[in-house]
Amino acid sequence: MGDLTFIDHFQLWLRAYLILSLFSFLYRDNLFYRFSEHIFAGLSAGYYVGLIWQTVIIQQLVNPMIDNGDWWLVFPGLLGVLMFARLTRKWTWVSRVSLAFVIGNTAGIYLISSLHGLILPQMLSTMKAVNNSGSFSRILLAVVVIVGVISTLIYFYFSKEHKGILGATARVGIWFIMIAFGAHFGYTVMARVSLLIGRAQFLYYDWGTSIRQIF
Amino acid sequence: MDFWHRIMNIDRRWIYLLIAISVTFPMIVVMKFPVRVTPETRQLYDAINNLPDGSVVMLTFDYYPNAAAETEPMSVAALRHMFKKNMKVVTLSNIPLGGPTIAERITREIAAEYHKVYGVDYVNLGYKANYNAVMHGLANSIESIFPSDYTNTPLKDLPLMDSVRNYNDIKFIFVVADNATVDYWIQIVNAQYGVPVGAGVTAVVAPKMYSFVDAGQMTGMLGGMKGAAEYEKLVGHEGKAMRGMDAQSLAHLMIILLVIVGNIGFFVTRKKDSEKS
Repeated sequence: MGDLTFIDHFQLWLRAYLILSLFSFLYRDNLFYRFSEHIFAGLSAGYYVGLIWQTVIIQQLVNPMIDNGDWWLVFPGLLGVLMFARLTRKWTWVSRVSLAFVIGNTAGIYLISSLHGLILPQMLSTMKAVNNSGSFSRILLAVVVIVGVISTLIYFYFSKEHKGILGATARVGIWFIMIAFGAHFGYTVMARVSLLIGRAQFLYYDWGTSIRQIF
Repeated sequence: MDFWHRIMNIDRRWIYLLIAISVTFPMIVVMKFPVRVTPETRQLYDAINNLPDGSVVMLTFDYYPNAAAETEPMSVAALRHMFKKNMKVVTLSNIPLGGPTIAERITREIAAEYHKVYGVDYVNLGYKANYNAVMHGLANSIESIFPSDYTNTPLKDLPLMDSVRNYNDIKFIFVVADNATVDYWIQIVNAQYGVPVGAGVTAVVAPKMYSFVDAGQMTGMLGGMKGAAEYEKLVGHEGKAMRGMDAQSLAHLMIILLVIVGNIGFFVTRKKDSEKS
């Protein structure tokens, strides 16, 4: 980091103040923490409204109508306006028209993407494991995948009481689920520690540079 | 109260302090824990590396600023790799807060290092709401979804976008994400339009992604700060992730130690309490 301007120093100190205020919650709830939290909530909401106004309402609705004469966009625009009917008790039912459109559209998109992009390729990949041949490790891996998938699926089969073979297989499934939870937990710890490292790096390197230059 | 009972009733703020020390100590005393490159990272690196020079690639910034410690080093390392290979880079974000501004800041910073020109070598499309619609829409026409770029310059005024009309003109999509958008890049763009997709994701998202890599739906993956550090190592430019790995390793050792101590304490105090009663 080279020589910092007054604005750079101001930004770095403001960021450091907000970070330390939020970390102060680890000791106990306090005024600095709540003030920083409210700034974050207010700024996020304001920024989001401005961004949507510019990138959706202006760029996708107003500009095409005025510049290109795409007046048919009045209809999706109207559907958007109808959503605000939810704010009044009397006219709430009107918003169902827009919601019906959104739900139908979303269900259609998700159905295709889930089937074509998730369920079928994942099933195919699991079945390919059965055909795995060659080294002992590959065969062992295939066995683990097959046993893991079947026993986990059986654990989530609730139409019959988990007794006998079904119960024993479901218990194997629980082990696979627990191992998966362990992997998720380990990665989550890494993620949370990373966030702390990110802030610590900022305080030590960036804010530290500002402190050294000022003092 | 004996030692183990005191341990079991310790004020949690002492644990916060221990974690804080284990994270800050390696910044003062550099330890250089080894970083081993995993096959998933190598696969992603090779996928980019094997593209012909000058190829058009899309780099997404689908993350909020709170995940930047993990994801920003991935974006920086990816940009360095792409610019080093003289690739044309189109960036965009499906996340309203953070993604578009981080994209604007770091693409300009890294592009300046490699003397790349905006509009010719790279373009930042910015943000557009509703990622499902965006992903489908880009297949027909990028301009219909993004009539102008992040700075409101019409796409027709940017020379790079003359030759980049839709997915057919994009050789690879490098997704950097901290949320479920990466699922849809795979399920929509890879599965339905056949564009190769690789991703750098936060550690929370990473476990789920292994099944996509195994199934061949995703070409490589970076998982969390560790993945970012591996990519930095392959690109040959030490960045924030490599510097953070010492702290990461030490904090993990501390957490493992605390888990072991906590478990011993649990069993010892339970035995003592049952003997008393």
